[in-house]
Amino acid sequence: MSSSKLCWPTPNGLPALMPTAVLAVSILLLVISASSVELNLVRLFNAIPRMFDFASNLFVTPDWEYLPTLGANMLQTMEMTFLATSIALVISLPLGVMAAKNASPHPAIFHATRNLLTMMRALPELVWALVFVSAVGLGPLPGIMALSFVTIGFMGKFFAESIEVVDPRQVEGVVAHGASWLQLRTFAHFPQAFPDFVGTVMYILDHNLRAAAILGLVGAGGIGYDLVMAMRMFDYGRLLPIAISIYVVVTLLDRASDKFRRRLI
Amino acid sequence: MSEQIISRPPLPKKPFNPTPVWLSAWLALMWVIVFDLELSFETLLYGVQDIFEYLSRYSTPNFEDLSRYIELLAQTLATALWGSALAFVVAVVLAPFAARNLTPNPLAYRVARELLNFMRAMPDLLLALIFVAALGLGPLPGALALGVHTAGFLGKFFAESFERVDGGVYEALSATGASRMQVVMYAGWPSIQREALGYVLYIFDRNVRMASVLGLVGAGGIGLALHDTLRMFNYDQSAALIIVILVTILIIDYLSTWLRGKLN
Repeated sequence: MSSSKLCWPTPNGLPALMPTAVLAVSILLLVISASSVELNLVRLFNAIPRMFDFASNLFVTPDWEYLPTLGANMLQTMEMTFLATSIALVISLPLGVMAAKNASPHPAIFHATRNLLTMMRALPELVWALVFVSAVGLGPLPGIMALSFVTIGFMGKFFAESIEVVDPRQVEGVVAHGASWLQLRTFAHFPQAFPDFVGTVMYILDHNLRAAAILGLVGAGGIGYDLVMAMRMFDYGRLLPIAISIYVVVTLLDRASDKFRRRLI
Repeated sequence: MSEQIISRPPLPKKPFNPTPVWLSAWLALMWVIVFDLELSFETLLYGVQDIFEYLSRYSTPNFEDLSRYIELLAQTLATALWGSALAFVVAVVLAPFAARNLTPNPLAYRVARELLNFMRAMPDLLLALIFVAALGLGPLPGALALGVHTAGFLGKFFAESFERVDGGVYEALSATGASRMQVVMYAGWPSIQREALGYVLYIFDRNVRMASVLGLVGAGGIGLALHDTLRMFNYDQSAALIIVILVTILIIDYLSTWLRGKLN
């Protein structure tokens, strides 16, 4: 035992190898990429007073007449979230079964579905929303399409992963009773994976709410359009109520899903 | 004999199956929402044809400007990297306070939790708009916005991992006279390092996706180029940009899946 204070709890008293190596590589990458993000400490410090300036601008009397519109738009955002999540849920359940190694009807289908799901979740919602807005016009419809399209990719993958970790002995037990292909999936795989499924759906609902709140940026419905307009026009009387309402709704859903998950698992 | 059969106790009541009720409530709610949003499925059906016609315009990608796209892509990746690094640093500081079993006092716990909640609740595009207003255009406000937003996620994940660690691990260290800081450094982090690395990879993955659209609000990167080409109906270049973004995200997706597989 060395009496020095700088002694790491490793056999040789030196810093642990793996974490140090990972840290060194990350710092190297950060230094290399610093010029790419135009990192400039002077600019950063100069911005601090402007941030305070901005923050002080926020505290003006809210635009009371705008509040009913705000409520309607927030409701639209929540409706889009719910509808998109429901559509994605219905479509991604069969896709999830097909993309799970132990439940897929054929290895070829397994690989094809896996790759399809990866492609679907690769691009962010906003890119799809841009494309769908150009295709079907402004409004909540392209937003819902973009949200469900991307979340099918995520949900299908999560469903497949939770089906893959079910206990094979219970599946075998159901097989021994002469269950058909579909019965096996409904009565052996599905009940075991159900708690995970609920967790996934809550997570996706949360994700979709956050995404739906900004989709309006490209004209795909919801509160995002008002948010960006208020920001661009320096309409602080509207900006603060919008930001607060987004914060409140997101936080409420976050708390509710935490409670719900804890009760179920 | 017959008396015995009659006196047999009645069968227990068949348990109530709530599934149909929930299912119909769900369907009814969906119907109300479709009605309220004035979505018409006819428009959608007619629209399908238009969508295919529209998508066919993307069939001839134009890679002439590839070197510029690669440069923008590097900027996007750098933005995501710096954002993730900022999130990591903030989360490492806040997470021990936000874990119920490591926090010095309940007040610190509440403050840290609320701070993380607040950062998580602010959409990153809104934060990017604010930082662009304060700092001017460029990738730096994008990196800051990603950092602040994902620090909320990462801090929450870390704190929850801390709470799941077996209490005996912390107790063993406290019993040797370790300070709270030492408990966190020598019992907390080593116990969750695999999980933590997995979360960091997930956050980086997410930040790359988001960084590629932050350009929409002027926060640099490949999103700005995509936005401009889409606005100018420059389908060939948009297609090329979408393919570049897609390939990058797929590569990062496979890399992080592979790394996470190695960790477990």
